[in-house]
Amino acid sequence: MGAGGHSRHTCLASATLTRETAAAMTASLSTRSLIGLIGAPIAFLAPLLLDVPGLDEPGERALAIMLLAVVLWVTEVVPLHATAAVIIIGQITMISDAALVDLPADFEPAPFADYYQALADPVLMLFLGGFFLADGAAKFSLDRALAGTLLRPFGTRPAGVFLGIMLITAVLSMFMSNTAVAAMMVAIVLAVTADLDATDPRRIGLALSIPVAANVGGMGTPVGTPPNAIALSGLLDIGEAITFIGWMIRVFPFMLLVLAFGWLVITQLYRGNNSPISVAIDTAFDRSGHAKIFYVTFAATVLLWLTEPLHGVSSTIIGFVPVVVLLSTGVFTADDLRNVRWNVLWLIAGGIALGKGVGGTGLDEWLVGLVAWQVLPLVLLLVIMTLVAISLSSVISNTATANLLIPIGLSLATSGAIEASPVLVGLVIATACSLAMVLPVSTPPNAIAYATGMLPTGKLAVMGLLIGGAGLLVFGLLAPWVWQTLGLVP
Amino acid sequence: MSDLVILWIEDEPDVRSALVRDLEPLAQIARIEETDSAEDARAAVEELERNREEIALILADHRLPGDSGVDLLVELAERPVAARAKRALVTGQAGHADTIRAINEGNLDFYVAKPWEPDHLRSAVRALLTDWVIEQRGNPLPYLQQLDGPRLLDAFGRRTSDF
Repeated sequence: MGAGGHSRHTCLASATLTRETAAAMTASLSTRSLIGLIGAPIAFLAPLLLDVPGLDEPGERALAIMLLAVVLWVTEVVPLHATAAVIIIGQITMISDAALVDLPADFEPAPFADYYQALADPVLMLFLGGFFLADGAAKFSLDRALAGTLLRPFGTRPAGVFLGIMLITAVLSMFMSNTAVAAMMVAIVLAVTADLDATDPRRIGLALSIPVAANVGGMGTPVGTPPNAIALSGLLDIGEAITFIGWMIRVFPFMLLVLAFGWLVITQLYRGNNSPISVAIDTAFDRSGHAKIFYVTFAATVLLWLTEPLHGVSSTIIGFVPVVVLLSTGVFTADDLRNVRWNVLWLIAGGIALGKGVGGTGLDEWLVGLVAWQVLPLVLLLVIMTLVAISLSSVISNTATANLLIPIGLSLATSGAIEASPVLVGLVIATACSLAMVLPVSTPPNAIAYATGMLPTGKLAVMGLLIGGAGLLVFGLLAPWVWQTLGLVP
Repeated sequence: MSDLVILWIEDEPDVRSALVRDLEPLAQIARIEETDSAEDARAAVEELERNREEIALILADHRLPGDSGVDLLVELAERPVAARAKRALVTGQAGHADTIRAINEGNLDFYVAKPWEPDHLRSAVRALLTDWVIEQRGNPLPYLQQLDGPRLLDAFGRRTSDF
C-alpha cells in the first residue's frame, strides 16, 4: 500500500475481494516459482546422477529433459514457450548426434536437425493457417459481425439467449482463440448486464455461458485449441493421420452434447424470472476489398479442410493456403505476420519435440514398463487418463498438459501395453484437456468471466465440476464406445 | 501496488476534497496523490519515482501559487514517471495561449472546466484511466469493473497471446 505516514497521501483503496484474490494469486504464484527454481535442477539432475533401473543412458537423458519440462510447465517459473525452447536445446545437446557428452556406441541418435524440425512440424503449419483465419476474423471484425447476425434468431427469452451465446461462442472458438472469443462475447454481454439488477441470476447465467462454451468449443476442430495439435502431430508421427473432417466427425457431436448439458444446467439455475433479455450487437460487415478477399479465403480454406477425403490434400498443406493468399494480396502485412502467436506455435513445438525424444530413446518402453497396465480394464484406463488430464489442466495450461500427457499416452498405446489404439488415446487426452474449468485460473476464458465480478467463485467451481463430470462420462466412456462401435478408431 | 496513481494538484482545500469525493467510486482501483502546489507535486513525483510507481493520470489546476498548472504539465512531460500519464487541466481560468501551450507542449488529453459535473468528471477520468491501462498494463482484467469494461476487453482480446 504506498508510502505510510505521508500527510497528503490519500489512500482511498479498500481491499476488495478481487484485489485480495489477485494478491493471494500473486503470493501463491511466487511460491510456485520458488518451487520451480529449486525443483527444476533437482528434477533434471536426478536421472543423470542416479542410475535409473532398467533405463539406458539415452533414456536417462530423455527422462531428465522430460522431468525438467514437467517442473517448468507446472510451476511456470519460465514462460511456457521458453520451456519448449529449453526442451529442444536439451535434446540437441544431450540425445542427438550433436550431443556434447558422448552417447553409448550402440545407440543411434537422431540428427539434431530433427529436433529443430519440431518448430516447423506440418501440424504447426495447419495451426499457422488457423491463426491467419483467426487473426483476419478479428482484424475485419468478422467475429463480432457474425455474433450479432447469428444471435438474432435466438430471441430474447433467457433460455434462447443462453443457447445463442453458447453456440456462437463455441463455433467461433472452433476457429479462433478461445480467449479472444471469450473477451469479445463478455464485452457484448457487459452492455446487457449493466441494466440488470446486481442480484439478477441471469447475470450469472450470461457470465457463465461464455467460458463454458469457449473452453469446450475449442475441441471441435483440429485448429480450435493447441492440445488438438499435439494429438494430431503425435498420431501423424506414427502413421495415423486424422483428417480435419475426420476429427470433427469424431469430436464435434460429443462436444455439442457437453455443451447442451452445460446449457441445460445454466438455464435451469440462472434463467431467473424468465423475463426477456435483449442483446444488441451492431452487425456491420466490413465491405472493403481486403475484407472481401479475406472472407473468400476463409470460406475456401474451411471448405478445402472439410473436403479432404474428396481431394486428398492434407489439411496441413491446405493450412498454408491462407498464409500464401493473405500475404501475397497484402491483406496481411508484415506487422500481421509478426503478430502471429508464435509463442503458442513454439509451445506446441515443445510438446512435439518432447514426444520425439520420448520415442527415440527407449524412454517410452521404460514408462510403459513402470505399471502393469495389462491388469487394468480399458474402461478404467480411459477414465483415469481423462481424469488426470482434466485435473492437471485445471491448474496448469491446457497445452502444457497435453504436451506432457499425450507422448506418454501414445507410447502406452503403440507399445500394445494397453488395449486401446493410439487414435483413441490421443482423442481422449486431447479432448479432456479442454474440459477443465473449475477455477478462475483454469483457463483464460474463466479468468475473463471471473474478472467481471458477476461470477461468484463457488458458482464457477460447481459449474466446472459439472462440466468436468459430464465431460468425463462423455469423452472417457461414451465417445470411446461409440468410436469403437462405429469403427471410427482402429 | 497495482493501484492506478492519480496526481491531483490544486491549492484550494475545498476543491481538492470535492474531487476526491467525486472520484470515490473509483477508489478500489485508483489512489489519489493530493498536492497543493507545483513544488508539492514535484516532491510527490520524486517519491513516486523512488517507489517505482508510475502516474496514470495528472489532474492539474491552472492557477497555482508560484507556478501555473500548464507550466507544470509541460515540465512533467519530461519526467519518466509521468511521461506516459494522461493529462487533464482542471480549471476555469486558463487563457487561450496557456491552453494551446498545454495541448502542444504538455500533451494535454482533456480539459475539465470548473465547476465540474461529478458525472462528467467521473466518466472523463474513467475514459482516461481506461486509455492508460490499455496502453501501459499488460493485463487489464483487474480493472474491468471500475473502468470501461467493454473497451478493456476489446483491447485484451485483440492482443492476447493465448489461443
